[in-house]
Amino acid sequence: MSIRIVRIHNELLGTYGDRGNADVLAFRAGLAGVKAHIVDVSYRDELPDDGDIYLLGGAEDAAQVLSCKALKGFDFTSRVVLAVCAGFQILGNSYFAGGVKQEGLGVIDMETIPGSSRFVGDIKIYSDVVNVELTGFENHGGQTNLAGGITPLGRVITGSGNGAGGVDGAVVGNVFGTYLHGPVLARNPEFADLLLERALGRELSRVNDPLADQYAAWRRAVIK
Amino acid sequence: MRLTFALLVARLAGWASHSLLGKSGETISGRVLLILCPNAISKLAAGRKVILVSATNGKTSTTRALAGFMATAGSVTTSKSGSNLPRGVANALMTKSEYAVLEVDELHLPAVAKATNPEAILLLNLTRDQLHRMHEVKRVADRWREMAASSNATFIADVDDPFVNYVISSAKNSVRVSFGGAAGRHPDGAVCPSCGSYLDWHGGLYKCVCGLNNHYSDKQFEASSAALRNEVLANATAERFGVPWHEVDVASLERKVSKKFINADCAIRLTKNPASWREALAGITGEKVILILNAREVDGIDTSWLWDIDFSSLRGKHVVVTGERGIDLAYRLHCEGVIAELVADFNAAAAKFAGPVEVLAAYTAFFELVG
Repeated sequence: MSIRIVRIHNELLGTYGDRGNADVLAFRAGLAGVKAHIVDVSYRDELPDDGDIYLLGGAEDAAQVLSCKALKGFDFTSRVVLAVCAGFQILGNSYFAGGVKQEGLGVIDMETIPGSSRFVGDIKIYSDVVNVELTGFENHGGQTNLAGGITPLGRVITGSGNGAGGVDGAVVGNVFGTYLHGPVLARNPEFADLLLERALGRELSRVNDPLADQYAAWRRAVIK
Repeated sequence: MRLTFALLVARLAGWASHSLLGKSGETISGRVLLILCPNAISKLAAGRKVILVSATNGKTSTTRALAGFMATAGSVTTSKSGSNLPRGVANALMTKSEYAVLEVDELHLPAVAKATNPEAILLLNLTRDQLHRMHEVKRVADRWREMAASSNATFIADVDDPFVNYVISSAKNSVRVSFGGAAGRHPDGAVCPSCGSYLDWHGGLYKCVCGLNNHYSDKQFEASSAALRNEVLANATAERFGVPWHEVDVASLERKVSKKFINADCAIRLTKNPASWREALAGITGEKVILILNAREVDGIDTSWLWDIDFSSLRGKHVVVTGERGIDLAYRLHCEGVIAELVADFNAAAAKFAGPVEVLAAYTAFFELVG
C-alpha cells in the first residue's frame, strides 16, 4: 500500500511554510507503515490525476491568481484535498486579489471578500470533524462567507478564522479548507491522520510519535 | 530653538539611563528627541551627506562595513548595531559629522528617506521575514518603489533580486549591480513583482515578458556568498563618493561571533528567516551544532517558515536544539530525519559539548549570547 501526496504549485502557494503539510503526511504515513511519495507539481506542470491527497497552500495575491487560473477545470470535488489560506480561498466561487474580484474554482459554495482588517496571529479552533482542538497561525486579509449548509472545519476559540460566523474553514466531502498555517498538520497530528485515513479508505494503525503529541499539546495549552 | 532644547533633554535622558540605570542610553535618547522634536531627523540630516542601507538580511554588517569605508573620506556617524528604527536613526544623527551612514528597517525606509534627503540608498535584498509584521514581500517592495520614484538619491542595488530590481526601476538615478545570478533562484521570486506573470528562472537569471530582468546591469561582479556580495555592494556605494575599493573581514559580514561557554568554543551566527538560515547552514563545516529558536516580536512570532528550509545537511551531525520555540524546530528536524536533542536552555545545550561548536541563533537569542 502506498499513497501519492500531490503538493501543488509550491513556488506560488508556498508563502507561509505550508509545504510542510506534505512532509508531515509522508512522515506519519511512514510511521503507520504506509509508503508515501510526495509529487511536487509546479505551475508549468500538468496536475496528475492519480494523486491520493492534493495540497494547496498560502500565497501572495499575484501568485494566487496565477495558480487559480492554472487549476481551472481540474476536478477537486471527488478527491482528498487540504487547502490553506489563499489555496482555501480559490476553492470558493470568488475571492479578491489585488483589490479585484476574481473567479474561484467553485469547489466549495462560499465567497471571500476583503476583511475589515488583516487577521494576523495565533488561532485555535475546535473541530467537530477532526474531533479535537486545532491550533495554527493565521495571516490573511480575506473574510470568507460560507453558503448556508456548508460545514466549517471548526468553531473559533481564539483568533478570526473565516472572519465571519465565528468559524474557520470549510469541509465538503473530503475537501478541507482552513486558514491555519503552522503548518497545520505539523501542529495537529490528528488532522494529518484523518486525511491519511480518508485517502486510504480505512483506519490507520496507531501512529506512535511522542514528539508530535508533545508539540500539539503544548500549542493547544499556550494558545488560550 | 526647539531642536536645541530637545537635544539637551535627549542627551540628559541618555546620560541618566546610562549612568543611573546602567543601560546603553541610545534608544532613550532617540526616543526623547523624537517626542520633543518630531522632525528632528530631517533637521539633523540637513547639510550632511546621508547614505541609507536597507534589506531583509545583512543591513547591520553592511552598514558597519560601509561606515568604515566612508571614514576614509570624512567624519562619519552611523547607527548603533541593529538600531534601525527612527529612534535609532535620530540617535545616530545626534553626533555631528560630514557623512551619516544609517541602517533603516524595511518598513521605515520610505519615511526616513523622505526626512533625510539621502545622496545614496543601498538596497541589498528583499525576502520573506517577520510576515506577521511585513505581511507580504510584495507589500514592502511596493512601498519601496513608491519611495524610489520620488527620491533624488542614487540607488545602488542588487538586481539579481527581482524585488529590488522592481523597486529601482522607478528611480531617477541607479547603479544596477549583478553577480550574474550567483545567488541562485530567489526563494520568493516565482511571480514577477512588476507585472504578476510567472517568472521563468534559469539558474539565478530571470527575464520577464514585461522586461524586468537581470541579464543587463551597470556593474557585474563575481561573489559566492551573501557576505561577499554585500562587501561588493558597500564598495560600489562608497565608490560614488570617490572612496577607493576596500576589502573587509568576511566573518564580520557574516556576523559571526566567537565566544566560550563552559567548555564549548562557540562560533555564533545570527539566523532570522529562511534566507539567513540557508546561508548559515551552507556555512556549517563541523559536526557539532546548537540551534536556538525564539519567536518574540523581532524574531517573527510565526514559526511556519521553518518548513521552507532544507535541514538535510544536518543529518548525521550532533545537533542540540533549544530556545523558547525549540520544539517547533525539533519537530521540523524530526520529520526531516535529523536526529536532534531538545534541551531546556542554552547552558544545557553548551554543556553537551567540548571544543568547537557552531551555533545558529534566532535574533533575540543572538543578542543575549553575544551581549
